[in-house]
Amino acid sequence: MTVALPRQRVKARLSDAASGLLYLSPSIALFGIFLVYPLLRTIYLSFFRTDTQGTPLSFVGAEHYTRLFASASFWQSIQATVGFVLLTVPLTILIALGLALLANEKLRGIGFFRTAFSATMGMSVAASSVIWMFMYNPSIGIFNRFLEAVGASGVQWLLDPQYALLSVSLATVWMNIGFTFLILLGGLQNIDRTLYESADIAGTSYWTQLRAITIPMLSPTLFFVGIISLINAFQTFGQIDLLTKGGPTNSTNVIVYAIYKDAFINYNVGGASAQAVLLFVTVLLLTWLQFKLVERKVHYQ
Amino acid sequence: MKKTWGLFAGLASSLLLLGACGSEEAAPEASATEDGKTEVVFWHAMSGDLETALNNQVDAFNESQDDYEVKPIFQGTYEEALTKFNAVAGSPDAPAIMQTFEVGTKYMIDTNKITPVQEFIDKENFDTGAWEENILSYYQVDGKQYSMPFNSSTPVLIYNKDAFKEAGLDPEQAPRTYDELKQAAKALTTDDQTGFTILNYGWFFEQLVAAQGGLYVDNDNGRSGAPTKAVFDGEEGQNAFNLIKDMYDEKTFMNVGQNWDDMRAAFQSGNVAMYLDSSAGVRTVVDNAPFDVGVSYLPVPNEADREGVVIGGASLWMGDGIADETKQGAWEFMKHVASKEAQAKWHVETGYFAINPDAYNEPIVEEVWAEYPQLKVTVDQLSETKTSPATQGALISSFPQSRQSVVNAMESLYQGVSVEDALKRAADETTSTLGQ
Repeated sequence: MTVALPRQRVKARLSDAASGLLYLSPSIALFGIFLVYPLLRTIYLSFFRTDTQGTPLSFVGAEHYTRLFASASFWQSIQATVGFVLLTVPLTILIALGLALLANEKLRGIGFFRTAFSATMGMSVAASSVIWMFMYNPSIGIFNRFLEAVGASGVQWLLDPQYALLSVSLATVWMNIGFTFLILLGGLQNIDRTLYESADIAGTSYWTQLRAITIPMLSPTLFFVGIISLINAFQTFGQIDLLTKGGPTNSTNVIVYAIYKDAFINYNVGGASAQAVLLFVTVLLLTWLQFKLVERKVHYQ
Repeated sequence: MKKTWGLFAGLASSLLLLGACGSEEAAPEASATEDGKTEVVFWHAMSGDLETALNNQVDAFNESQDDYEVKPIFQGTYEEALTKFNAVAGSPDAPAIMQTFEVGTKYMIDTNKITPVQEFIDKENFDTGAWEENILSYYQVDGKQYSMPFNSSTPVLIYNKDAFKEAGLDPEQAPRTYDELKQAAKALTTDDQTGFTILNYGWFFEQLVAAQGGLYVDNDNGRSGAPTKAVFDGEEGQNAFNLIKDMYDEKTFMNVGQNWDDMRAAFQSGNVAMYLDSSAGVRTVVDNAPFDVGVSYLPVPNEADREGVVIGGASLWMGDGIADETKQGAWEFMKHVASKEAQAKWHVETGYFAINPDAYNEPIVEEVWAEYPQLKVTVDQLSETKTSPATQGALISSFPQSRQSVVNAMESLYQGVSVEDALKRAADETTSTLGQ
């Protein structure tokens, strides 16, 4: 049995919805133009053969997808992406967490260290990449100068497929530490001090406090940082473009760089769109999985 | 509430307007500068010393007349600039003049968003007889001049004369064949110096193949018909790859990666004694190196079979979908930079060739040649080149893609992949892009 709402309430609700939409309209418009439309367009283009400017010419069904799955270079870029994610995300979070724990101590002059540890946040990817490029330079870079000074032979940091991905990852870890550190420090400072005071009275050690209080209380922040870092790692572009251009022998050709090359150097817009759709689905799935699996362990106050 | 509705209406109408702007096919209108000159936008890919030299050319043109104002805008490397051009080609935002590298020739023609300069040559009965035949022929397709050659260069061998002396080699006798090159590199290699290097860049490979008379693709490098197959994995390509592989295995060859600046840094810091560079870099290298620099011809396996070099560098293209007046301005600028006076200045400031050989008779060239004899080598190498399909260069649309394949092949050599496998893979990848 349905109860008919009084006419006045219907009217009030409708006008509520209208004004709600009205307040949302700027963000709906922005999201629509810059996120939803490009997303739909990418999915659409992934089923078409296009000319070099990206105008669709003919419908080809799933051909771009089947071709991708059959291509060795696509699997190589998947491999590079996974390697890159595994090398950067855990290391960044671990180092940033260590630094945040240090900087959370109440010491004289700690402000200086907090600023220093978060300083990489103020550096653009382009500027940091150029700095690392000089340090990695085999002829004039500081790393090889140092190695030679201690008698070891120099390493082709960015030119040897064995080291290239590692080198780019190291640079990326350094770039991302600032942001991760800042978020984690914020999380640490939000933990209720009284918990530690009670623990002190109970006479527990620093490590027990860390395990029993700090980590559980920090888990929402760690969870957030984990998701953001993972998504960022999947979308890495700038340092790859500046440091290796996907080389040598495609060993650092991560998926976003492969998409860029396909779309803007090879003008294969359809194939690039198909890769973009696959990347989107992967990140979506991973984020969903993280929510399902990890969130159960997250302790919200 | 009224206020919000007004705001909403405003937002909606501005969105509508935004949409309208995108779809409207406005008749192109020439944009003018404050003092009433027609503005001619010029996209280029010259950085560093080359950009300074280019701006000098533009300033000279702008001061020479009162109707047009050329506005040069740096758009990154040739590859990056081409990508940006692709995004705006045919729209009123497209530049009037676009500088594109030689391998973009076929691509630019296929966009159908350009105006062949032949139109203006015919209209004004402009005499192109004074231009260098080898340079002109690269940009001529089906008897039609599509673009205006501007900055043409060829590859040269650059070497450290001081290192030659130290190694007991004659600094005036540069290696000209592969065997001589290998021997010199062996003598030059020490604990902290490697003999030779080539940048991992497709252009150098193309040149090494063409210097032996080898073709890149079939159908006379795509000049007698649409190419169907990449043929650079033949004997000539294998010679070039074997040279790299042999020397790398002997540790007389250094892998410097894909970055031009890294390669030049390795040379100037004395880490590598010989390398291949574009002649456009000669002047800068000579000025910056703390030692004596020698310049010589591109090495070949056998001196008797030397065919010459392919014209590298770039040409100027005229956009389409822009106002006629702007086009006229672009043409006037192209004529200006092709004049012998402008070309003489351009040559001595950069190391690019003069597309107009009369420029070499200008007094300024003689003066500079006396000081930089290295610049003359690059000119001689070009004038000794035999015009053939090999030295005319390949005409394919997917050149940027093919170059990536070749770079991958070069990089895989250092990982122990065999010359045949590396080349075959690159050639197969290139072939598969030809039909698209």
